[in-house]
Amino acid sequence: MKSKTDEELMELIVQNHRQALEELYDRYVKLIYSFSLKISKGNTDKTKEIVQLVFLRLWTTKSTYNPAKGQFVNWLLTITRNIAIDLIRKEQKHKGTIPFELDEMQQIQDQQLEDVLQQVSRNLVKQQIQEAKRHLSEPQQRLINLLYWEGYSLSEIAELEKKPLGTIKSRLHQTLKKLRNYFSKETGGARHGK
Amino acid sequence: MENKCENLSLYIIDELTAREKEQYERHLRMCAHCQHELESLQETWQSLFYEIEEVDVPETLKAEVMDFIFEKNEPVQREHKVETTKKSLIERFKFIFKKQFSPLSTGVAAVLIIGLAGLYWHNLHLKDTITALENEAVGPVQIVSTYALKGQGLAASANGNAYLLQEGSDISLVIELNNMPGTKDKEVYQVWLLKNGTRQNAGTLKPDQNGNGLITYRLPPAHSFDDIGITLEPNPNNTQPQGVKVMGTF
Ligand SMILES: [Zn+2]
Repeated sequence: MKSKTDEELMELIVQNHRQALEELYDRYVKLIYSFSLKISKGNTDKTKEIVQLVFLRLWTTKSTYNPAKGQFVNWLLTITRNIAIDLIRKEQKHKGTIPFELDEMQQIQDQQLEDVLQQVSRNLVKQQIQEAKRHLSEPQQRLINLLYWEGYSLSEIAELEKKPLGTIKSRLHQTLKKLRNYFSKETGGARHGK
Repeated sequence: MENKCENLSLYIIDELTAREKEQYERHLRMCAHCQHELESLQETWQSLFYEIEEVDVPETLKAEVMDFIFEKNEPVQREHKVETTKKSLIERFKFIFKKQFSPLSTGVAAVLIIGLAGLYWHNLHLKDTITALENEAVGPVQIVSTYALKGQGLAASANGNAYLLQEGSDISLVIELNNMPGTKDKEVYQVWLLKNGTRQNAGTLKPDQNGNGLITYRLPPAHSFDDIGITLEPNPNNTQPQGVKVMGTF
């Protein structure tokens, strides 16, 4: 199983191979768990629920992942966010906002080199995002947080901000462009990856 | 740019109705502007995911997840559907992900880093490090040593780890710090490598709002050190420490 690609594992899952699902779990649970914990504001019960639903979705999914549409990891993370947002939107109807609180980052002690490198690489990505976000205006930052992390729809945000929906739509477009341009700045146009 | 192009962002964040989505996808097939913008903006949106704190997953969770799936849900008979796939993509996946489970090389790690989010790198220091890693012959990397860092004084609550990574004759130091008090104005934390009473500047950092910081430093050839010290400097680019020591190896 360990030598299989994610894609091969997904094909095995379609054929009901439980071990393939367990292998995907081992590969991605840390990312999914950490994300769920953040989006559920440190609520471990809710985090567990999200993780369970994500893997249930993988197991029961009828439409297999389509590599032509992008990287597996992005597909998986999109599923994770959709499930989490659905759950949060259901709850929002009943509760106000809860203060944002996170567990302290766990120290890496004697992990394997690959864990260290992965951790480091993701931290680097995180720093990039945070750095880019610092260059957004207040309303732009608020928009991203409400939209991405709090799960509000654009029309709900328009209401919160007391602005026409059209304004919020174009603000979103500007914000995404600004973030993208900031990511690409100073690389001299050199594009890594694909 | 016609009216439909406005729906690009909504398409990316998935806030179009099924009907709007279908209309937009039809537009997308014909609109060079949207095609050009779609991928990079989508990657930007998806990369927001990585603004997370990585935490340890409880050991018991796996059993709970598997029970949830396999006890509640009888195996369903499903159609076996094999997607026709593009070879180049599979090869790419193999390249990126298989390596996670075999000894990693820094070159592969760099690909992995980039492959993970498909981001651009704007940080010059980081870019240099990664470019340097990418340009090297691929070989095994080893952790030569690890250090624990502990805060004192102003940063008594801080802690961290440092790793010395070696690939061939190249040695890089990666330092990760947690719980650092925030810095004001021009203040920076500066890393020093100590050897026989002399100090070598190994870079500066500002922690994020959660008090986490990360720095990578490529050691000059044949450079060694005994200890790592971190000071809080009133301004960046000092060649000798002016501020007080706030962290060190122990
Ligand atoms: Zn268009």
